Amino acid sequence: MVYELLNGLSPAEADQVLALGARVMVPSGGSLFRLGDPADRLFLTERGRIRLTLPMLVRGREEDILIEEKSPGETVGWSALVPPYRFTLSATAPLETEVIALPRESLCVYCESSPAVGYKIGLNLAILVGQRLQLVQAMWLREMQRTVELRAAGVREHR
Amino acid sequence: MDMLLMGLCMTFIGVAVTAMAFVAATRPRRSTPAVQPELPAAKVAPARFFSDRVAASIPLQPQVPIEVLLYQIENHVRLEQAAAESFVAFPTQALLHSKTTSPFVN
Repeated sequence: MVYELLNGLSPAEADQVLALGARVMVPSGGSLFRLGDPADRLFLTERGRIRLTLPMLVRGREEDILIEEKSPGETVGWSALVPPYRFTLSATAPLETEVIALPRESLCVYCESSPAVGYKIGLNLAILVGQRLQLVQAMWLREMQRTVELRAAGVREHR
Repeated sequence: MDMLLMGLCMTFIGVAVTAMAFVAATRPRRSTPAVQPELPAAKVAPARFFSDRVAASIPLQPQVPIEVLLYQIENHVRLEQAAAESFVAFPTQALLHSKTTSPFVN
């Protein structure tokens, strides 16, 4: 398995990092974490799928709306490494899923003791955060564009 | 003596002018009741918010079951994400504003 967070690490280094974690099974429909929970663990998807959602009011009912889906090898919950260490999304498993939970404390201690590994993990994390930012930025602009078009259409109709 | 009389005269004139100015300034104004032209009654516009205008421009869809609506939202998010990924991979203005087949934008 190739984990995006461990890109560039030697197999031995990757094994050392993985040894810091614990395997967690999430049953189908189960929750890995909820929005606002303290984020003290980072997850590497091993098997299955993780749905990242945000609550939205649909016809007066609060519904979890899909924001992103994570497949094996992908990282979930990098809020564990970013202050204020709170999850900003909810994560559930649409099918039985296995993840490796890496506690922030032990990961940070390991990275301090092995700066070369810490550097690579930090770089991979920056790529993940950067990609998310670029994606959300583009999605936000597309929605803004539509809002502007709808408002302009509404004004024309109103005249 | 002449100088004294002249000074007194100047003082009296000054006091008189000041008193007249004070009276003029503090006198209550009597305004003639001007005939106000009748203004046309302002039309009471119905309360409108931008969201109403936006809603008005969206074609009304028949009330679909919430499961269908949630599926459409999820589909919309997936399509939007794919479009955004295309833009991030190859940033151009055309790709940024490319249309998807989502029912929310068509």
